[in-house]
Amino acid sequence: MDSAVELREIYKTYVQGIFKKKKKEALKGINLKIPSGSIWGILGPNGAGKTTLISIIAGLIYPDRGRVYVLGKELPFCLDQIYKKINISSGHANFLWSLTVKENLDFYAMLYGLSGKKREKKIDQLLDLFSLREYRDTRFEELSTGTKQRLSLAKAFINDPDLILLDEPTVGLDPDTAISIREIILWFHKKKGATVVITTHNMAEAETLCDEVSFIFEGRIKIQGRPEDLKKILRLGDVVHIRFSGEAPDLRDIEGIIEIEISDSYMRVIVDDHKLRIPELIRRFLKNGTSVERIEIDEADLEDVFISFSR
Amino acid sequence: MKQTLKMYLSVFQDELIKTKAFIFKNWIMAKRNLFAIFEVIFWPLISFLSVGLLSDFINLSPSMKGFILIGVIAMSTIQVCQLDVAYVLLYDMWSKALKHSFVAPIGMRHLFIGSTIVGIIRGGAVFFILSFLSKIIFKFDALVPSFKVNFLFLLALFLNSAIIGILVSILVLTVGYKAEVAAWSLVSLMFLVCGIYYPVSVLPDWIRNLAELLPLTYFLEYYRKFYGFQPCYDNLLLKGYTMIFFYLFCESVLMKWAIKKAKRNGMLIKLSE
Repeated sequence: MDSAVELREIYKTYVQGIFKKKKKEALKGINLKIPSGSIWGILGPNGAGKTTLISIIAGLIYPDRGRVYVLGKELPFCLDQIYKKINISSGHANFLWSLTVKENLDFYAMLYGLSGKKREKKIDQLLDLFSLREYRDTRFEELSTGTKQRLSLAKAFINDPDLILLDEPTVGLDPDTAISIREIILWFHKKKGATVVITTHNMAEAETLCDEVSFIFEGRIKIQGRPEDLKKILRLGDVVHIRFSGEAPDLRDIEGIIEIEISDSYMRVIVDDHKLRIPELIRRFLKNGTSVERIEIDEADLEDVFISFSR
Repeated sequence: MKQTLKMYLSVFQDELIKTKAFIFKNWIMAKRNLFAIFEVIFWPLISFLSVGLLSDFINLSPSMKGFILIGVIAMSTIQVCQLDVAYVLLYDMWSKALKHSFVAPIGMRHLFIGSTIVGIIRGGAVFFILSFLSKIIFKFDALVPSFKVNFLFLLALFLNSAIIGILVSILVLTVGYKAEVAAWSLVSLMFLVCGIYYPVSVLPDWIRNLAELLPLTYFLEYYRKFYGFQPCYDNLLLKGYTMIFFYLFCESVLMKWAIKKAKRNGMLIKLSE
């Protein structure tokens, strides 16, 4: 599969102060290949380098070292050609305060060369898609955070980009708005087959949206892959809580068991995949003559991956 | 042939739309900003009336009064027009939306041509309002009876404004928020040197050398020549316009460097957060 984005050995250090003595290494040798048509998550704590990374892909920051290829073309060459096909939206939406929603969209549509009826039609579609019609003539400074965010996304879709970069697209939004925005991202991705790169703190969001994720810590990609594979690789597993009466059976030889803790009539078993392992667990309890009173399952999520790295 | 023509037309149309975007943006921002309305009417009127009335009070001869009124009209025109050019990036910086313009397929020419057009409209309004008031209140006709002379002078004022506005934009990209001070102060420094209220001949030698590097010096002399003032220099238009185009060329190189620098040190993102 072609790569929409390819980063090779990217290094970036910010230098501050009058004598340039303060140095902050933001990225330390990032290698990343994002296949065309995928939704790729970039996860990591504050200051990990997510925004720097997405800004490098957008050509807004130049790396100190390394090569950046976007849609088959190397940055910073061919910027104009690349910019026609990409767009960006940030979680903290900022636009010209005096312009209304329609005027802001008009302005950005013109930057992409849209004019006349074509522009009107595109803006009309976006106003409906992002439920912005009722705010059409409201100035940006008078909008709520959620509406500002929807406008930011609408602007990012204005040129039907092949690559869309979303920097924390649902940060600070209420759950309903966040869900609707995720649905729109998925809808757009499905309809256009565009590549979507998302940076987020929200693990549930990454799990819902992303085909693959990269965890970035202190400027390095620590691990990347499909969310379900990462859980396996890190042996995080699902936690099965079993309450029973009688003698606890020996479960250590069951395939896929990662960890077992027993106390009185409670057993905490970590398994690689609860759907595969629970039938065998129950069979062992029954074979042992132990009655199972209650089973609860906690599925491992990316939050756990995040925590395991943060530690 | 037809295909090539169609392609050129399409490129030209694309250029026009992108330039129009910045006319649209600056125009609406100016229209809805009370401060911007003050810039066109209030402040130019205050300085024009103050200087005109002072000239009356100290009994200046009509020609000397004219000398000073030409200066104040030129100053107000440039002040307003250069602000519009500088605003094209300042508005983005103040609204923290700078990165959106830099991730779009546009060139700096679209930004600066678009914003200069708005500057010409607003600066032109200042020029004609003050010229009209000059005739009514101070009985001085600030328009030379030659379309060509007026046109060349006005064009020079607008191009001078573009030079200052672009310089402010370069500073925005290199030093960030601190640069906004330059939007108001750079132009005042230029006025001090290039002889707005006095001929450059009264300046100390080293300042006069500096004045010779400013195209506005030559255009003020050129325009005042038609009111009977002997210029200090020759080939005024040639020198002035050559300098203007030289500075615009230098600025286009500097702007490319400033963008590169802003992308290297993260200034673009810093100004968008």
